[in-house]
Amino acid sequence: MSAEVSANGAAARPGLALATEDLVAGYGHSPVVHGVSISVSPGEVVSIVGPNGSGKSTLLKAIVGVVRTFSGRVTVGGRDVTGWPSDAIARIGVGYVPQVDDVFAPLTVRENLEMGGYLLASRQLRERIEHVLSIFPQLGRMLSRRAGRLSGGERKMLAMGRALMLAPALVVLDEPTANLAPILATAVLRDHVRRLAETGASVLVVEQRARAVLEISDRTYVLGGGRLQMEGTPDRLAESSAFVESFLGGGRAA
Amino acid sequence: MVYYITTILVYAGVDAMACLGLSQQFGIAGVTNFGFIIFQAAGAYTAGVLSLPPDSANGGFQSYVLGWNLPFPLPWIGAAIVGALVSVPFAGVVGRRLRGDFAAVALLVTAVMFNLLVTNFVPLFNGAAGLSLVPAPLQSAVNPQSGAYQWGYGAAAILLALGVYWFVNRITESPYGRTLRAMRDNDAVADSLGKDLRALRTSSLVIGGAIAGLSGGVLVGFINLWDPQAWGYAETVVLFAAVIIGGSGNHRGAMLGALLVPVAFEEATRYIPPVAGNPNLVPALQWVVIGLLIVAFLWFRPQGVLPERRRRLATRAPSADAEAALPNPAAGGLDAPAGGLDAPAGGLDALAPPVDRGRLPHAAGGSAVPERTAAPILQCRDLVREFDGVRVVDGVSMAFERGRLTGIIGPNGAGKSTVLAMLAGTLEPTDGRVLLDGEDITGLPAFRRARRGLVRTFQLASEFKRLTVLENLLSAIPDQRGETLLGAVRGRRFWGAQEREAIERAQAMLERFGLLGIADRYAGDLSGGQRRLVEIMRALMAQPRVLLLDEPMAGVHPRLAHQIGMSLVSLCQEGMTIVMVEHELSIMDEFCDPVFVLAEGRVLASGTMAQLRATEEVVEAYLVG
Amino acid sequence: MSLFVESVGFGFVTASVLALASVGFTLQFAVTNVLNLAYAAVMTVSMYAAYMLNERGVSIWLSAPAAIAAGALISVALNGLVYTPFKRRGSSPIAMVIVSLGMTLILEFGTQAVAGPTNVSYSFSQGATVRAGSFDLTVVQLLLIAISLVIMAAVHVLIRHTKLGKAMRATAANPDLARNCGIRTSRVVAATWLISGALCGLAGLAFGINSGTFGATSTDLFLVLILAAVFLGGPGEPYGAMLGALVIGVATEASASVIVSDYKDVIAFLILLAMMTVRPQGLFGARV
Repeated sequence: MSAEVSANGAAARPGLALATEDLVAGYGHSPVVHGVSISVSPGEVVSIVGPNGSGKSTLLKAIVGVVRTFSGRVTVGGRDVTGWPSDAIARIGVGYVPQVDDVFAPLTVRENLEMGGYLLASRQLRERIEHVLSIFPQLGRMLSRRAGRLSGGERKMLAMGRALMLAPALVVLDEPTANLAPILATAVLRDHVRRLAETGASVLVVEQRARAVLEISDRTYVLGGGRLQMEGTPDRLAESSAFVESFLGGGRAA
Repeated sequence: MVYYITTILVYAGVDAMACLGLSQQFGIAGVTNFGFIIFQAAGAYTAGVLSLPPDSANGGFQSYVLGWNLPFPLPWIGAAIVGALVSVPFAGVVGRRLRGDFAAVALLVTAVMFNLLVTNFVPLFNGAAGLSLVPAPLQSAVNPQSGAYQWGYGAAAILLALGVYWFVNRITESPYGRTLRAMRDNDAVADSLGKDLRALRTSSLVIGGAIAGLSGGVLVGFINLWDPQAWGYAETVVLFAAVIIGGSGNHRGAMLGALLVPVAFEEATRYIPPVAGNPNLVPALQWVVIGLLIVAFLWFRPQGVLPERRRRLATRAPSADAEAALPNPAAGGLDAPAGGLDAPAGGLDALAPPVDRGRLPHAAGGSAVPERTAAPILQCRDLVREFDGVRVVDGVSMAFERGRLTGIIGPNGAGKSTVLAMLAGTLEPTDGRVLLDGEDITGLPAFRRARRGLVRTFQLASEFKRLTVLENLLSAIPDQRGETLLGAVRGRRFWGAQEREAIERAQAMLERFGLLGIADRYAGDLSGGQRRLVEIMRALMAQPRVLLLDEPMAGVHPRLAHQIGMSLVSLCQEGMTIVMVEHELSIMDEFCDPVFVLAEGRVLASGTMAQLRATEEVVEAYLVG
Repeated sequence: MSLFVESVGFGFVTASVLALASVGFTLQFAVTNVLNLAYAAVMTVSMYAAYMLNERGVSIWLSAPAAIAAGALISVALNGLVYTPFKRRGSSPIAMVIVSLGMTLILEFGTQAVAGPTNVSYSFSQGATVRAGSFDLTVVQLLLIAISLVIMAAVHVLIRHTKLGKAMRATAANPDLARNCGIRTSRVVAATWLISGALCGLAGLAFGINSGTFGATSTDLFLVLILAAVFLGGPGEPYGAMLGALVIGVATEASASVIVSDYKDVIAFLILLAMMTVRPQGLFGARV
């Protein structure tokens, strides 16, 4: 099944929260992502699923500037940010929640949030912290606890709260439920990620748990072998046998 | 004038010896021993007190121990022995799994402290004054002031240095030397291959210590005094500078460095006239320049003037057809035309019976095996592994049949790699048992299991980068004669035959996988796919009965993955049992039967891929993640 | 017994100088992950910078800015021009140590080339001896202790309560995540080297004041004490360095009253070796 991708001109439309155009990226000399084009419209929750080794994480990391882009383009809110360093990308309104090392372990919960809001003036900072605490009230009870002492679910919540501090237009999450027990995972996706979306931000989430993330997505891309295999709304994909195939078929030409 | 030249000769010899000792430790074994100078100082002191008369003589103005007034060459022999002995406690510091720079700093501090102790402890070392009036060797026979004696001494120093060079070369160009270099490149992997890291580091330190001690003895016999100030922190840095500039890992480079730095450089500055009003200027600037040279060389030419030479051991060249099948390294991937697989001698197909390249009939593995013994060769029962209260593996029981290529798959976090690690012995189970041939091996560490024929590969890059491909393969062979220090000392006559045989075997393996052409390339220069193959070949060199592969196809081009799969199948047909953890499900399709599916730390199902795809739970596991 | 008590008093003075030095060293390690063995050499240059003013008649206390400025500027240059390029290249930690040793030679012997090999000393008045508790210390010694305490408090305020300080801790803990917050980590690192360099310079001055006479290589042995204090507390842990300085400072001076005073620094060495063997992450550090 061929990928249904938006027309190439879409990347230039300033209306998109995010767009990548034929992105080729990877580590060292070998690309892991081979010419991927995706887009996220404002307010959308878009997920990327696919078997292991399909390049999902690498794609995200290339978008936020942590991994090298070999060719192609990345635009955020219409601006070309290809090859920008990660701090610059954070400054234009992209919040990134990595899969591991997602909090500052020796710092307290409050200090973590403060770091998330480093670029803000002190009054704004206080307001934003209040705001984030209203989205994740449990954090309010743990403000003086060291982040390293939190449980898995609490850490993820803090990581997401930290990413929200600069009121990003786009929040990017890399396998937020990895290493979490299944019940917790469902809670994180259904609850936390949904709250992110409710703030008005666009959300791009990579997930291993395809069924679970499909439930909360507006649109889903399926990646395999570093290439886009499929795209569609959750309903259509769930009915498609090709969807299931792409997970168990290894994503390579049979 | 005579004195001047002979002095240079003696210093050149002494410095060359010291640099060789250091080069062997630092350049070959990868031990950054900032305490090195202590060995030389200890040797010099020993030679001094062995050759001096009792300290009451000469008016009793200096105090020291022994004073046995021994004749030449005993003081020098004693110097070497003490140098070696003093190095032994250092092995304790170096051996620990400590960050490289932390360990180096610990040794540096040790050197500084030793210097402090020595300059202050009068009864033993006569404090800061040192020892003077140390007798020159053979001074009763020949007048030490005579030209003949001076030339003789100079010649002796040079000859000894050349002797040390010959010795150090002998032990470096041997399986022992290769093992040291493997330890230098990646000690964790060397350890898992069964190399005794502690013994290796200790032996390396002892050799270096003996050489340093000897050089100290030679020096002290010539200048007739032992001055502890001459062996300070700055002198250690000079020796390191010499080895780095000359070329670490290359013994000729070490000697060159000795000539360039302690000798030539320090001599050259002697000719610069002292600046009026600041007589210390030139000596101080000398040190500044040495510092600059260290930084400059580490930046512009870290390998030194004479870099480490590549060891070319291959005796065979690949045949023309096999060459055509070689992967194209420049492309990084493998664009070998399918036709390459049909090449005769050296091609992969020649070894396997004709197989349908599409789907393997499921019984293929079974029918070619002469007898199907009922008992599985490897099994695990109720394996459990907990990390921080989380059960990553929660009661896994699997049995692997002889001569089969079994696959283990499952979504991320299912515990596949953890199970493999417990089977291999690199990770201890929290509970449960592992049995090899019916025998309980749960308590055995990895390298012991390797000796019984159970070998694993690693997921992450674990080749020895600065060893050639051939050397990488050779390093995996257990129980090589030339691998111990004594074996190396006994020379090629002792270990040569076994080595030649090993090289033949390694070359045959390379040929089988179509990689004979890169036998003499540094493993670190290979493409990802080639390194994978080297990893597998290295595991095979240990002649395992059971091979555990941890995601061997990760990041590998489909064509190469296919080639590897075919080779694995042919190995199984020859009786080897292979267990493979993989994500690449198409590989499972083609080559593995049976396949176990793990999810959330438990075995979910097993069967052929076709059967598994049809199983609802398996499909769900992958989608639910 | 009073000899012992007296030596403990001296121990506090040594601890004060050591604290200034160790905190600076450990901050550098925290953000750059490099053991800057040239630290003692930078102390030396700073020490002499103040001396240059002092020998021309400027009061030692007014010469302090020279030492602080020298320490700060040289440290920033050292990191920016030497360590960062080597790190960017992927040099191994061992190579970095050797580079820092090379820099030590350049800085120390460069100073000696200019200043000459004979030892010098600051001219200042020690002031009257004061009875503080059970200790007899001079005014200057008490002043060193006071300065050190003030600076420690300032460091505490910096890292716990200021934005930059928290950014320093964040960068040390997780530089990638810090960048994802929009923090320009290269600036944070440079600021850290500036501040720790200033501490280094001040430590050099204090060392010179406390030592009586000094030469270009006088701080070599002091580096061992710094390393011992840093590793006792844990490399990269500022509060650990403060505690380590106190323990090492007092232990070395106190041991002088028990064993021969020439060997008093040996106890620091033994503590360092013990920590590296048993618990390399130090008392305060998380498991490496």
